[in-house]
Amino acid sequence: MLSLLLLIPLLGAFLLLFWPGQPVPGRMRNVAIAVLVAQLLWSLRVMLAFDIHDGGMQLRESLQWVDSIGLDYRLGIDGLSLPLVLMNGALTLVSAVCTRDISQRPRIYFALLLLISGAVNGAFLAENLLLFFLFYELELIPLWLLISVWGGAERAYAATKFLIFTAVSGMLILGAFLGLALFTGSVDFSLTPIMSERLAMGSQLLLLGALLVGFGIKIPLVPFHTWLPDAHTQASTPVSVLLAGVLLKLGTYGLLRFCLGLFPEAWALVAPWLAIWAAVSVLYGSLAAIAQRDMKRMVAYSSVGHMGYILLAAAAATPVSLLGAVFQMVSHGLISALLFLLVGIVYRKTGTRDLEVLRGLLNPERGLPFTGALMILGVMASAGLPGMAGFISEFLVFRGSIAAYPVATLLCMVGSGLTAVYFLLLVNRAFFGRMAITPPSDPQRDARLDIELAPVASRETVPAMALALGVIAIGLVPLSLGRLSESSSTAMAQLPALVHVIAQASQGGLG
Amino acid sequence: MPIISANLTRSGGMPTAEELRDRLLAGQTLLADTPNHLMQVVDVLESYGEVLDAYSINLIYQAEKQFLNPLPVWKYFDGDLNPARLWRHLIHDRINFEYAEYCQKAMFWHGTGGLDTYLDSEAFLQNCAAIIQRKTRRDPLLALLHPLFPGFILELIRSAATTHALGQFWRVMSDLFLDLARAEKDGRVTSIAAVVDFIQAGLVAAAAKPIIYGVEVGGESFWVLPPEAALTFLVDVAVPYVEAVFLRGMPFLGTVSFNAQAQQISPDQATFAYGALYADPLPTMGSGIPPSLLMQDMYRHLPERLHRWYDSTTRGEGDVRVKICMSFQKSMFCVTNAAIAGTFPHPLDSSEPSEQKANQAYASAWAERLARSRTDCLDASDEAPGRTGA
Repeated sequence: MLSLLLLIPLLGAFLLLFWPGQPVPGRMRNVAIAVLVAQLLWSLRVMLAFDIHDGGMQLRESLQWVDSIGLDYRLGIDGLSLPLVLMNGALTLVSAVCTRDISQRPRIYFALLLLISGAVNGAFLAENLLLFFLFYELELIPLWLLISVWGGAERAYAATKFLIFTAVSGMLILGAFLGLALFTGSVDFSLTPIMSERLAMGSQLLLLGALLVGFGIKIPLVPFHTWLPDAHTQASTPVSVLLAGVLLKLGTYGLLRFCLGLFPEAWALVAPWLAIWAAVSVLYGSLAAIAQRDMKRMVAYSSVGHMGYILLAAAAATPVSLLGAVFQMVSHGLISALLFLLVGIVYRKTGTRDLEVLRGLLNPERGLPFTGALMILGVMASAGLPGMAGFISEFLVFRGSIAAYPVATLLCMVGSGLTAVYFLLLVNRAFFGRMAITPPSDPQRDARLDIELAPVASRETVPAMALALGVIAIGLVPLSLGRLSESSSTAMAQLPALVHVIAQASQGGLG
Repeated sequence: MPIISANLTRSGGMPTAEELRDRLLAGQTLLADTPNHLMQVVDVLESYGEVLDAYSINLIYQAEKQFLNPLPVWKYFDGDLNPARLWRHLIHDRINFEYAEYCQKAMFWHGTGGLDTYLDSEAFLQNCAAIIQRKTRRDPLLALLHPLFPGFILELIRSAATTHALGQFWRVMSDLFLDLARAEKDGRVTSIAAVVDFIQAGLVAAAAKPIIYGVEVGGESFWVLPPEAALTFLVDVAVPYVEAVFLRGMPFLGTVSFNAQAQQISPDQATFAYGALYADPLPTMGSGIPPSLLMQDMYRHLPERLHRWYDSTTRGEGDVRVKICMSFQKSMFCVTNAAIAGTFPHPLDSSEPSEQKANQAYASAWAERLARSRTDCLDASDEAPGRTGA
């Protein structure tokens, strides 16, 4: 059942690559959309088969592959990966739908998109460390191509930077997995927690450190974040949607599944420092976002800040905080994808994303009023206003973490307040006031400038509307997502060693 | 790929005060004389005439039949209250009479000319005293309020007098604009200069029309603006109206807000520059912001020819109110042009140096004020190729 989640997009990619003849414009896009709809429908079918009361891996599939190096084809799904698989299906579909006027090699573009979606599904479903690594690396090259071929003016720089950072991340992860085999002497790359009876704490900390840096680059956490704003600024809108919505989640997923899941004892030991790291990341990301004048960079830095919450939740590792981490992954995926879509519309219509230049786009007749309205909804959701997904996830994260790490949690709450600051700056600058899309010169002349933007067709806002509906649906009915993940996040928080060590640490009053 | 923003913006010329003065003295029109301008101005004035007709009827009804009514709930129904009209009112299928009231408030607040002087005169106070005495006998609420706030009913009567005067002014203007549309259809008006002449002739013809206003209280008739006050159309109502609504206006520019404490609004009412000639067509479109109400009303009565042209430019129906506002501004410059031309102290072709000097001073004073207004609408830059079809 799960294999189809890999097969549909991968076969779709081959179908596009070997489509006979020179297809008419738009044909490739339609085929890709059809494949992605099938993938999303199948993801929903998997959700129906999923037992919400079982906290362990379900619907497992296993196949011996290269036994000698411990590489097995083993798939499974639990409450942590299911929401991410669903979101991958939905957001890849969104990015295919919002790809318009692509003149350059549409065949390869859409094939790469499908390849990424399949690889990401594989990474979320893999129950074998090496298999995870394979899929983790498989998504890298297509994304690099998507940025370096279909990106903006500085795309070569951004794509290379992205490639170097993520390749290092991959090497560290592979190194940690191989080191695990080396230290324990077994080539069993299964997802079994490593306890101190099997491996000395020093080795555990070393391996955990490598994984933390590896996934920290992907998430990204400060100070490994510098590739992200560049990549976002140069990537086209659909690629940004995919990057923020799905690919960053590989990092947080790895953090929860492999760092916390494989080394619970070592994790509990370093958790207080991780909470501090989370607070630093949140505050740095938020403060850096305030300083941006490119809308897209601002949203990218907000991602840096918001991913810090997941590290905080993982550090606290309580059932509530881990559920909050899952919520945050989904809500950040939806909200940042929504914001990137809207910034993309603004850029397409005005030719600029500069907050020093854009003004008054909410103008009801000459501006982009509906885009602006959705943008206000998006930034409110991102700032955690009740009734939307951001509130549920941040509330769960803070509620679950405050007992364990009060100071770090409070600092992260400040970061949440700063979200409101920079996004209100964005909305206030770009959407309110007298409309303008050119740099200010003579005030009297500016006040007389007539502006003729092309209107936003309703079909252009359909993907953004779908995401906005998702954001509100999760905000109003959090139970829908909560029920899927609750058993798994509770089971994860109850790894015996973790409970034991955290109980000791909280008596010591760290954090 | 993103488009260069220079293609998305357009700005009309900004003539200097000297250029404007020279044009006024030479008897040229302020608005560039092109066939497209003629179409825009005549058609938008036709729809404006239809709207003014409704405004005028309602203002006169309010002043006469809702006089000193403490709860004028049905004031927009012109006395014709029936379920169908109430339903159309509730679903907002109606003229925005609120806009007429905003203009009345502007005129009342920026009171200039003979009407304003008369409202403070002894004769007016005496008339009011008689009206109040008669009214308070029959109305316990007003009987209670009047001794507590002696200026209150007086001010209401002043407001009603302005309302009636504006109603009478718009009656004339409505007929004039509809006549203009007919004249253009008949081929009697074929240029912007002819439009200005037509309006000027209409204003001059109505100049001496008396402005009078009487009310009936308890079966007895009273004068509020009696014939003896000798108020006339042009100098006592038309000129103050232009001053208040075209030039000074109210600082309601739409989504742009002003900070009065930071002196963004002049403390001197006479230097206010927020009238129709200064309005920014772009941000005035939010619901409830007065100029957009007028554009919405004119949209209901748009002539077919102008509507077709709007549909073929920029966003078509999507930004039609902005385009109506731009055309309306052009037409208001024509009306202003006619008013200035009709009120020069001496004939423009006079060869007497002292008269020439007086004319020059008059033209300079106007040009100085107009130079800061939205003169960018005067040239024909909106007809540039490439603008059609979005």
